[in-house]
Amino acid sequence: MDSKRHQTLQMADILDKAMLNSQATPQLSLDYPEIGLKQAYQVQAAGIEKRMNRSEKLLGIKMGFTSRAKMLQMGVDDLIWGRLTSTMQLVEGDRVSMQRFIHPRIEPEIAFRLNKTLKGKVSLLEAMDAVEAIAPALEIIDSRYANFKFSLADVVADNSSSSGFVLGQWCSPKQDISNQAMVMEINGKPVQIGSSSAILGNPWRSLVEAARLAAESDICLEAGWIVLAGAATAAHPLCTGDHVCLHTSSMGQVHLHAGE
Amino acid sequence: MQSQATDAELRAAMQLRQAQECGQPCAPVRTLLADNDLDSAYRVQQLNTEYWQQQGRRLVGRKIGLTSKEVQTQLGVNQPDFGALFADMAIAEGDEIPFSAVLQPKIEAEVALVLEQDLDMQQPTLADILRATAFALPALEIVGSRVENWDIRIVDTVADNASSGLYVLGGKPTPLSQIDLKLCGMSLSCRGEPVSTGAGVACLGHPLSAALWLAKTMAQLGQPLRAGDTILTGALGPMVTVQPGDVFDCEISGLGSVRASFSAK
Repeated sequence: MDSKRHQTLQMADILDKAMLNSQATPQLSLDYPEIGLKQAYQVQAAGIEKRMNRSEKLLGIKMGFTSRAKMLQMGVDDLIWGRLTSTMQLVEGDRVSMQRFIHPRIEPEIAFRLNKTLKGKVSLLEAMDAVEAIAPALEIIDSRYANFKFSLADVVADNSSSSGFVLGQWCSPKQDISNQAMVMEINGKPVQIGSSSAILGNPWRSLVEAARLAAESDICLEAGWIVLAGAATAAHPLCTGDHVCLHTSSMGQVHLHAGE
Repeated sequence: MQSQATDAELRAAMQLRQAQECGQPCAPVRTLLADNDLDSAYRVQQLNTEYWQQQGRRLVGRKIGLTSKEVQTQLGVNQPDFGALFADMAIAEGDEIPFSAVLQPKIEAEVALVLEQDLDMQQPTLADILRATAFALPALEIVGSRVENWDIRIVDTVADNASSGLYVLGGKPTPLSQIDLKLCGMSLSCRGEPVSTGAGVACLGHPLSAALWLAKTMAQLGQPLRAGDTILTGALGPMVTVQPGDVFDCEISGLGSVRASFSAK
């Protein structure tokens, strides 16, 4: 094994341990200043491979930095993505144990379910044609880094902070999702109010970008996969005892209880 | 509000009027008024509303401001405020707005309501608002401040007609029975780039709750809302600074769209 590959596995190990122990770790880029975006995605892939070896299944991918505001905030000019696995999927209505997280935040999203493969550069129409259902979704992001602080390579290596997600009811994709209200309430109080148009102007564009970015890592979006289009608002801290509900204009709602 | 205006209030009103007439922002008026004295600030606003009416400007309704929790927190208040709308503040959609028409302009997307009945009962309820409203329209409000650098506290903005400027109404009316004003999405873009997004909930939890507050307040003041009045109910998302040449498109799901374009100079 060459030294670069060895280093990649080392980094994946550090992040995996941080996740399993629910214990934040220093940014990788401090100890491995040469880590670039390409190696960061390799670290992410190696980390996911570890999880698959523990019998987790790959369910799809999530998109990150899909709002212009967030890109400007982070000083980046491209989107990032991460992988969704079976242990990350939470059941709507269940009490989610908070012990597995470090400093979780929650954000409102839209999920796509594919029934066709999407590979590389696809048109908006091809992307739309590959979706059999859409659902409102909540994603829990939980950076494995101390204080939620990271560089672009750091966050990519850390599976783009993705830690959990819950889906509402699947509904027909034949509705306008370009300007859905996204109202995220915690214990009945709106904490984030936005519109799905914050996701690249129209969430469908996020799916086109997902196919393009995944192809850069030689991955195609498979039939049956879930794609989370990205957050419509800023993330909000999630605390034990919280009941979170996302309300949308016409896609319904999705709930999550944060338990002990 | 019915009581006699003080000399300080007359001076504050004059200062704000001159800023508007000269196109030159002025110092905050809070130094002339008592701290947090809203009644005094509204007396200043009323002095100017009456002045403008005497000058022949037609009063066509009211705007509601400070309808978001964040903005209320910023200004240290727990209620919205209101200002007067005059006919010459309504810009036809498609007309270019001279950039200099509003001092220090910012823009926000709102739901406008047009009344078909008076709301002159002393204790109106949501049912009265629903019955009295002819239809809703998408609206863009261009707010501005006569106070230099938007250096405002609550008494400044109330005295300054709730920082009102101009407004543009979309032309397609929607009856309230056909729209969910609480869960409508709002997308405001500038030349195709989303610059502000939100939803109906952002306006006091529901734009009709804001309208109800206004109806109650105006009835108590003895200046009830009347049939034909336009109400701008308050922003559905963060307001955005306007630059010369900007073109803003607002879409409110279920209500349609409205555009405001500004001259390059």
